[in-house]
Amino acid sequence: MKLQPREPNDVAPELNELLVRRAERVRQKASEVDEENVLWVAEFPIGEETYALPLQTLRAAVPLKMVTAVPLSPPHVIGILRFQGQIVTALSLASLLGGRGWREDPAVLLVVDPGFGRLIALDCERIPKPTGLPHALVEEARARSTGAACEITLPGTRQVHLLDLLRLMDRRHGQDKR
Amino acid sequence: MDPLLEQLLAGFVDEAQEIYDRVTRSLMELEKSPAQGPSFDELARGLHTLKGSSATLGLEELADFAHRMEDVVLPLRGSAQPLPGPLADAILKSLDCWMARLRATAAKADLPDLAASHALLAAVKPAAPAKAAAKPAEPSAKPAEVAVDLPPAAAANDDAQTDSWRVSTRQVIALLHEVERLREVRLRLDERRRDLEKAVLQLDRLGIQAETAEARAVLLGVRRALGGDGEEAADIVASMEDGLKAISTMPVRTVIDPLRRAVRDLCKATGKQAKLSVVGAEVSLDRRALEQLRGPLVHLVRNAVDHGLEMPDVREARGKHPEGALTIRVEQQGNMLFIEVADDGAGLDLEQIREAALRRALVPPQELANLSTQQLHQLVFRPGFSTKTEATEYSGRGVGLDVVRNQIQALQGHVEVQSVAGQGARFVLTLPADLGSSPVLVVRCGEHQLGIPMAAVESSRAARGGDLRVGRSRVQLDHREQLIPVQDLGALVGLRQPEVPADGQPLLILQSQGRRLALSVDEVLGDRELVIRPLPVEVRDLAAWQGAATLARGELVLILRPDFLVSSDRRAESGLGGTRRALVVDDSLTARALHRTALETGGYLVHTASNGRQALEQLRHSAYDVMVCDIGMDEMDGYELTAAIRQRTETDSMPILLVSARDSDTDRQRGTAVGADGFLTKKDCVSGRLLSEVGAVIARRKGAA
Repeated sequence: MKLQPREPNDVAPELNELLVRRAERVRQKASEVDEENVLWVAEFPIGEETYALPLQTLRAAVPLKMVTAVPLSPPHVIGILRFQGQIVTALSLASLLGGRGWREDPAVLLVVDPGFGRLIALDCERIPKPTGLPHALVEEARARSTGAACEITLPGTRQVHLLDLLRLMDRRHGQDKR
Repeated sequence: MDPLLEQLLAGFVDEAQEIYDRVTRSLMELEKSPAQGPSFDELARGLHTLKGSSATLGLEELADFAHRMEDVVLPLRGSAQPLPGPLADAILKSLDCWMARLRATAAKADLPDLAASHALLAAVKPAAPAKAAAKPAEPSAKPAEVAVDLPPAAAANDDAQTDSWRVSTRQVIALLHEVERLREVRLRLDERRRDLEKAVLQLDRLGIQAETAEARAVLLGVRRALGGDGEEAADIVASMEDGLKAISTMPVRTVIDPLRRAVRDLCKATGKQAKLSVVGAEVSLDRRALEQLRGPLVHLVRNAVDHGLEMPDVREARGKHPEGALTIRVEQQGNMLFIEVADDGAGLDLEQIREAALRRALVPPQELANLSTQQLHQLVFRPGFSTKTEATEYSGRGVGLDVVRNQIQALQGHVEVQSVAGQGARFVLTLPADLGSSPVLVVRCGEHQLGIPMAAVESSRAARGGDLRVGRSRVQLDHREQLIPVQDLGALVGLRQPEVPADGQPLLILQSQGRRLALSVDEVLGDRELVIRPLPVEVRDLAAWQGAATLARGELVLILRPDFLVSSDRRAESGLGGTRRALVVDDSLTARALHRTALETGGYLVHTASNGRQALEQLRHSAYDVMVCDIGMDEMDGYELTAAIRQRTETDSMPILLVSARDSDTDRQRGTAVGADGFLTKKDCVSGRLLSEVGAVIARRKGAA
């Protein structure tokens, strides 16, 4: 069957009006989100809170399956898995953040490149959604924060904890050494 | 000809051709520049390697001929003059003849006569004795004309080897990585098949079988087809991997076996006695690396016999067995390869090393006096170093250990020497090993599959009560009239409390670092030839694990370090009297990790189980102070498990805390009804809260008692 494009006349006037209004809203949103002034992040929940990590660090979101547990490893290590021919460590993000409660058992692993030349995988309750955070707020929050996650309050008092993976792993490494 | 020797000879022809090319290049350079420096070193090393390797393969005439070429060249080391043209000419012609003879030997063709070349070499041989520090003697200006009419080896090579390709190692490794990815795709096919199964089950549960009959039939068909595709993909992956392995690797024994002959011949020639033992010869390694290891191993073994081992009467006088012990140990750990060549001879003589360093002016006298033992040992790797004042057929020319070091460095490795005077010397070669595989015994311990390098497995047997000596703190096995300690693998890797092996349970007799151990495992799954890869940095420092390997179906298996298993100084767990023990039961890996984090922070020793059946099995053998259990598990949920535990007298009063992703009064009431002591939602499982709840349920049980 050959698909034919719809002619504008095929659409009922009220539906057409709705579509026009919807398109207008989308255009408005696009102009509000200034591509150059936002940091694109992957946003996901841990328990009651919302966390995010820079989208550029995300390599893949894979199901939390086929992970081999590593006995005698530190408790924040969930295990190891194969990803594109590499052996990668899967870590519990909630545990790395000092023990957070969770709503549902994590079912997703985010394979990320923290920037030290190898990949790691972090567990996550749901597949993250991409979203833009205003650069100005991100910079302000980063300047205030010394921890592995900086708190960003978005308009409407919604809070997002933006993760700094290098700091997160450094802090963990320091704790392991102690 | 022995097929193995034939294979080795074919490899040696290629290696010799490369050496021939390098030596030819050096000779031509040395015709124009002074007979010293890197070009001369290259020339000397090349001839020495040709000699050593051909002797190892039993090609005595070729070894002798290479020795004669060395005799002509080496006295000129350090000369300020270029090599005389006639001499270079004679060596080049002799090399051609040498290569032609080697090729004829490999091809089982008529052998060219070497007499003419011998005469040619004799004619140009310098008159002065071979002594490295002495002023180089000038060779006779013009040799007698001797006709050596042979095609150059390079030309002979043109029409050879047309049935093979040269492929870079990088390309082979890239292909191996692609195979790894293919294996992941095959795993994903399995996942898709399971998802389809779940979808069909869900349709069944909806109670609309009639309406969905057609859809379910299609889904079942797709599931079956996916299963078949998955199996076929697995076969292809396995076959590709085997093929690549055969292309890129070969067993270490192909290089080590011929050394036995070399040791025998050298012992006969020197009047010494030696026995060569090899551990780990079945390890398969990168073919290219192995070819390049042939020379260094020959040098080290010949050195060990010639320099290291004492004469039988001297050994007896020193209280040793007249027959010296030579050992080669090969071990691959992750992506590192360790080869140890050890002898129980006299060890490195520091005084002789100092004298030789002075004699050959390798180190200024003042500096020499301040060198540590280790630094003195390092001098043996300097070019031109030899403690022998006169050259023999086997050593003393100052060519050898520097070759070993250079060849190992060329493979991005390093060599270390350890020596104890009177007790022997050990040379340890450490090399990166991107390719290669090792035989591994795969065993099951609880739900875990674990690998043990076969090199450490002496034998296996079933446990029998009559052979076990069970004491208060340890269990021993009466094995071939020896008592050896017994350890439970599950306890060693922190999965459970130590258990006395049941009748019929498999026991592996392991040996590592001179220690033996009987290791009880739940099941022996069989031996596999596996590529052991290093663990990621986050878990690489764990003493228990050597690396990980991929099994045929794609799952990762952890490989244990034998020295961890047999060592007796890290048994922390069983002896921790007074430590509170917690059992965490949850089918989610991350939930187990989170509970473990919280409980270990509170000082608990934590064991985990991924389902109710395993938890009951753990509780059959061990006692716990508390159990933290998920409600929503497949097979047996938290309520059923709690009810089952309460029915057993040994566990009817164990504190139980149920956790759930859902927060509902019904769940709480149902938990209480089956005998749970507390209830917590997963969102409330922050570290402090979990610990306080665990403390509370324990206190409630004590109060009730």
